Amino acid sequence: MDKNQNTSNKRKENCSDENKCFELLESILDGEGTADSKEILNEKIAKCQPCFEHYHLEKVIKEILQNKCTKHMVPSELAATIRQKIQDLK
Amino acid sequence: MSEAQRKKYSDKDKNNIFDHEFMPHIDSMYNFAYRLTFDEDDAKDLVQDTYLKAYRFINSFEKGTNAKAWLFRILKNSFINEYRKKSKQPAKVDYQEVETYYNSENVDYSMTSDLRVDAVKDMLGDEISNALNSLAVDFRTVIILCDLEGFTYEEMAKILDIPIGTVRSRLHRARNLLKDKLRSYAGNMGYDTEEE
Repeated sequence: MDKNQNTSNKRKENCSDENKCFELLESILDGEGTADSKEILNEKIAKCQPCFEHYHLEKVIKEILQNKCTKHMVPSELAATIRQKIQDLK
Repeated sequence: MSEAQRKKYSDKDKNNIFDHEFMPHIDSMYNFAYRLTFDEDDAKDLVQDTYLKAYRFINSFEKGTNAKAWLFRILKNSFINEYRKKSKQPAKVDYQEVETYYNSENVDYSMTSDLRVDAVKDMLGDEISNALNSLAVDFRTVIILCDLEGFTYEEMAKILDIPIGTVRSRLHRARNLLKDKLRSYAGNMGYDTEEE
């Protein structure tokens, strides 16, 4: 039986154009999608297992990058040093 | 830039723009600088140089437009022109070489798909930061600009002086590389990264 044959409740196991699809899914995650591409997204997620997995994995990676990445505190004197140097320029 | 596009701001206008449009971005600027240089002193110098340049060329900035993108572009160019050559980091893989490699048809993109959502969710801030920091600078930069700083593709294209299509494909490649790093962390944490 053809593994890629699509049934109404089972996603196909291989994506015919992963690179293009994944780039599109990522651009939608990044807020760059158009109305059209959102329809395509819903369709892909419903019907294609690699697209479904890629979308959810990229979504959670984006979230941990945003929420968990170490933030570096700006040295307290930096703003004052910059202002002083600007004054010296005048 | 032609003279017609340049502004003639008064000292009061300049100070106003500097205080209200430039300085509020100092946290993001410092974090970007630190992620490029990995060194507190270099990051401070880079941010300071960027703000001094921004002040010197303030007449090229149109009040009320996207100051953050304008400042990030100056910072990125300063980094390339000055800091990259004296960086304390070991020599990075040449970007062109990396891009060509990941652009080739022979790369198996599906190899990263066995990284599990649950494994990623359990990762610590240090692990995700280290994974990001281990990427070559051009790949690291697009992820910082997009995911950490929330710039649009159009803004990133302007900051990096590359077409939007290149932003999109470079981001995709950067994310594949990041997943490779994350998968090795997940493997070390004892998550089963094999397919069931």
